Amino acid sequence: MKKYMGNKLAIFLFVVPALAVFLIFDFIPIIQVFAYSFTDWNGLTIPNFTGLKNYLELFGDRVFYTSNRNQLIFAVIITVYQMFFATVFAITISDKKMKGRKFLRVAYFIPVILSVTVVCQLWGAILSGEGLLNKLFEAFGSDFRQNWLGDRYKAIYVIAFVNAWQWMGYQFALIVAGIKSIPSDYYEAARIDGCSNVKAHMKITIPLLAETYKFCLIISLTGGIKAFTEMNILTGGGPNKSTFTLTYMMYNAAFKKSNYGYGLAAASIMVIECMLIMLVINFIFREKDQKKEEERSRRKRSA
Amino acid sequence: MKKKLVSAIACMTVAASTLVGCTGSSAPADTAAPAETQTETPAAETKTEETKTEETASGDKVTLSIYTQYADDDTKVPYDYAVEQLKEAYPNVELNLIVQAQDDGQTLKTLAATGQLPDIYQASTDLINTFRESNQIMVLNDVAQSTGFLDKLYDANKDLAYAEDGNIYAFPFSGQEYVLWYYNKALFEENGLEVPKTYDDLLNCIEVFKGKGITPLALFGQEGWNTAAAYDVIATRYATGGIKALDEGTASVTDEGYVEAAKMMEKLVAAGLYQEDATTTNYDQASQKFLSGEAAMFINGQWYIEDATKELGDNVDWMFYPAADEASYEAGKAAFSGGGSASGFAVNPDSENAALAAEVAEFITEKYCEAKVMYRHNPLVALDTGKEPDSEYPAMMKKLSDTLPTITSTTKFTWGLTNSTFNDAIQSESQGLVSGQFTADEFVENVADAQ
Amino acid sequence: MHNEGKKSILHYVFVAFCWIYAAFSLYPLIWMLFYSFKTNQEIFVTNPFGFPWPLHYENYITAWTKYDVPLYFLNSLLVSVGTVALTIFCALLFSYATSRMVWKGRTFTRLFLGLGMFIPVQAIMIPVVKVVQNFHLMGTRWSLIFPYIAINLAFSCMVYYGFFKGIPMELEEAACMDGATIYQTFFMIIEPLVRPATVTLIIYIFLNAWNEFILANVVVGSIPALKTLPLGVLFFQGEFTTDWGGMGATMVIASFPAIIVYSIFSEQVESAMTIGGAVKG
Repeated sequence: MKKYMGNKLAIFLFVVPALAVFLIFDFIPIIQVFAYSFTDWNGLTIPNFTGLKNYLELFGDRVFYTSNRNQLIFAVIITVYQMFFATVFAITISDKKMKGRKFLRVAYFIPVILSVTVVCQLWGAILSGEGLLNKLFEAFGSDFRQNWLGDRYKAIYVIAFVNAWQWMGYQFALIVAGIKSIPSDYYEAARIDGCSNVKAHMKITIPLLAETYKFCLIISLTGGIKAFTEMNILTGGGPNKSTFTLTYMMYNAAFKKSNYGYGLAAASIMVIECMLIMLVINFIFREKDQKKEEERSRRKRSA
Repeated sequence: MKKKLVSAIACMTVAASTLVGCTGSSAPADTAAPAETQTETPAAETKTEETKTEETASGDKVTLSIYTQYADDDTKVPYDYAVEQLKEAYPNVELNLIVQAQDDGQTLKTLAATGQLPDIYQASTDLINTFRESNQIMVLNDVAQSTGFLDKLYDANKDLAYAEDGNIYAFPFSGQEYVLWYYNKALFEENGLEVPKTYDDLLNCIEVFKGKGITPLALFGQEGWNTAAAYDVIATRYATGGIKALDEGTASVTDEGYVEAAKMMEKLVAAGLYQEDATTTNYDQASQKFLSGEAAMFINGQWYIEDATKELGDNVDWMFYPAADEASYEAGKAAFSGGGSASGFAVNPDSENAALAAEVAEFITEKYCEAKVMYRHNPLVALDTGKEPDSEYPAMMKKLSDTLPTITSTTKFTWGLTNSTFNDAIQSESQGLVSGQFTADEFVENVADAQ
Repeated sequence: MHNEGKKSILHYVFVAFCWIYAAFSLYPLIWMLFYSFKTNQEIFVTNPFGFPWPLHYENYITAWTKYDVPLYFLNSLLVSVGTVALTIFCALLFSYATSRMVWKGRTFTRLFLGLGMFIPVQAIMIPVVKVVQNFHLMGTRWSLIFPYIAINLAFSCMVYYGFFKGIPMELEEAACMDGATIYQTFFMIIEPLVRPATVTLIIYIFLNAWNEFILANVVVGSIPALKTLPLGVLFFQGEFTTDWGGMGATMVIASFPAIIVYSIFSEQVESAMTIGGAVKG
């Protein structure tokens, strides 16, 4: 069996296509990003090596800290929102007794299909000063009107919500697909044991989908760190760069200030942050994996 | 099961061969295309961009790629006119239009970095300076001489053609441009208000308009240049150099005038001069607010005269910027915000047909100026075209023309600034002031850091 | 079981919430459709949310005449389908090898490839275009397809990894005993089991490729014969003003294929499951 699953030729053939594309179109460019981050490159001229200058400047930049704070807020909000609603809706949809579940399944996914521009335009219209939301508050006689997107501290939460709302459908679809791949006899067994529906899911679905959840966690958190488009359309990074992220810093430095090297330093830090998050998540989930594997081998032995 | 697998593989092969087939056939299909679709309608002009050719064997047809704006009337009308004229003057030249993206030069810089720069491209001051360093912009001195461009160039616009090193890198088509403070005459009259001369008058207007639920001044503060202009119209009342002097380093933002201007702006923001969500408002939102009478004032360039007149007719006018007191108001009438910028059509020196491209670029520039005068009623172009507009100039344009001789100083629009670090700072810091969440002291401190 | 009555009230509240949320998710579709029939003035001042009246259907005419919609459409379709097919192919094989086969360095290889998820396109744009040029792909549709595969690969591999991990090892053991080769085992037994993931990924990758703008603008922006649909919006964005209604029309034209693809494949998720279940049973 070990030989069977260790077929060298098969492994080679399976790994090579993906690895080749990755190396050529991802890895080589990423290496260049890191290399150029140590230079004064403006994108066009021959770069001069400037050592850590870009990084030192970055760490002294007020916007660098704003960006990191924003990314953190963004990541936390979209993670909590998306994973919570995706799970709840996925479980609801998977319940065969739920009426109209096919329709709901399509509906929850619709925002994902639309381009970010459309979604941001819509939310921009809802959240603007004279927008729908403020008018609603007015109609109810409340003076809780806010400058939703223009507030230096609060805007980032609002933008994070828009992002979370749009991409929730994707995690929802992944979890639905995950639930479908769980054999239904597991649930039947649970039902026979007298578990309620919710309880059955808590005991079966969530643990069995650990890998899917790990993955959702990674895309939400790193998605928060990479965020750019929503800010670009909804606030333009403003007011006064209050809704910047590192990607935005990169964009701003490279194309507005013709300081590509500095921008790539920001991008490099961002990649490192994402990698750290992925490693930490892998580390947290690792113990469980090991336990599972041990259990598996134990079962095998006893069998 | 086996059947499924086979069919899946078959599907994939079909998909792959389709792709291969397409890429293989794409080139000949292109060269065949241009011959069949050439009609005279203006709509067909845009289609020239659909029909890309290399130099084909049939005759000496040359296709030049051109990267320029093509979206609203102000950019479409001149382009279509230029293409039409080009057909007569250079029948062997065809243009492949690449529509400019509104992305801070990201596309053009990437094209340049990867050696795909179009033959002719519209370049801003920032791009000219960047491309000069990398030798990706052609020196056009000789062409400017031989084509008579220099003879047609208005004296006042000489500085727009030449870069600091005394060379011409781009043919400008826009002349000197000005930031105008537009206002809705009808709204002022209805509310019994005079055109404000001093900031005290302005504060009074703000109060009256706000009481009526009218936005005093609609700013499109999502765009940094508009907030920078909003600061500049105040700054020039205290120091005529405005942001231009800051950009060139001949003044410091910590100078008394600039500090006072920032403080005044802070005060006006607190009073509610701009709409609350100004920093997230885009151009179309703000403009629609002004044109529909929901806002009483608007800050924009003189190119807006045409659109504003079309919509508001006699009810719209522009005012001299208010100042601290009447004396400085009168004195300030000669100092305008805005100004020309060294930008225009540039040529890629590595182009196969660089010499021809330079000539065509000059030709197009001339035609742009003509179209702007004739069809856009904008006489503020770079060249003396000798053309007359197809109808009378709007009243606001006449008023501006009458004022021009008395103007003694101008500043710059942000796209004319040369120090990109300062440019970035003034745009975002002025936006901070507009938001009302950053103080004048913070503004001064941060801009000083960037200077 | 003692508080059944209370439970059902909660249940109805919850069901109502599910439906309201669904309505809220569907609203942008209707809003976009309305939007595409309005003028700038209606969009920003007079009628931002209501039904468009009169219908400014000329937005669609403008969109149709400004650029070659069928050509752009075809290009988008070819590029998207090519990207989807090749990404799925690469990711399936790679994830199988890294999740279930036994070899040294598989965890490292897997995490290494994951790196691709973290880099923003704007940062690697110039290097990527240079690579594309070095491989002489410029002027072909591969100039978009390969970078798109690279962009979607890491994500797809991660999704597959999770699904492969959930399949019991016994399946391969049984297949091995029956004398199937590893290739037969993979294509006939394992691959059908992850169909739900495949279908989900097809939708995701297709949408990504279909909506991609930044790279497409740089790579094929100057080659009219190869332009894709998202580039159409450029014809509406001026330096200052934007024709939002026309842009809305363009976006409606671009979104419909995506919605069709989704409705077809979301049905497939359901049926794919039946196949997977049958094998397991």
